[in-house]
Amino acid sequence: MEEYNSGEEVSFNADEASVSVKEMLDCVVFLADWLVSVSQCIEGIIGGLDYNQNKVNQWTASIVEHSLTQLVKQGRPFKFIVNCAIMQKSGAGLHTANSCYWDTATDGSCTVRWENRTMYCVVSVFAVALTC
Amino acid sequence: MDEFQLSEETAFVVDDITTIIKDTVQTTIGSSAYQQNRINQWTSSVVETSLNQLSKLGKPFKYIVTCIILQKNGAGLHTASSCFWDNTMDRSCTVRWENKTTYCIVCVFGLAV
Repeated sequence: MEEYNSGEEVSFNADEASVSVKEMLDCVVFLADWLVSVSQCIEGIIGGLDYNQNKVNQWTASIVEHSLTQLVKQGRPFKFIVNCAIMQKSGAGLHTANSCYWDTATDGSCTVRWENRTMYCVVSVFAVALTC
Repeated sequence: MDEFQLSEETAFVVDDITTIIKDTVQTTIGSSAYQQNRINQWTSSVVETSLNQLSKLGKPFKYIVTCIILQKNGAGLHTASSCFWDNTMDRSCTVRWENKTTYCIVCVFGLAV
């Protein structure tokens, strides 16, 4: 009889569940906001411009720095990696892929593809949860 | 001596990782010509095989591997990345590879757990 457990430890805790759902929704909103802000950032930096060999260095650096700053400002407990590739439109084939070995419950990524008349721009962000 | 060995086992060793990536790309693409209908398979294979090999190293890192394959036809390509992480423990390395018709750029990011 003394070994009988009250059962509270195994019951469904609705409050905890709704906090997790809220956190997930928060995360979705956060990523959606980021998608919008990075698209605006790309548009602001290379919007109506043509591909320019002399400037592309500067453009990729601005895009990654600006995107990273926006992410860090949110104050979330994550490490971030932002990757940007700009390619001149000339009919060449381009393919990108990524693969991650991490905690699928807490870590995530998303990618934005943008183009204008003379170039493609692909920006990816990877977010890895801080463990401490 | 023990402490040195311990840090060797837990460090992100760029040379080892570069070798792993080069071998993977060489095995996957080798001297094949750029082919639109195979490229999907190549990029997936490069990232998955690389990740497999990296996880076998048994080091305390989370890894992100990205791969870009580009047909050689004179187009300009530029990539950049920026990271907000622990500067003392986290590392990245980039490997550039090419054959007669294709460029392949692989980036590995290692984040300490």
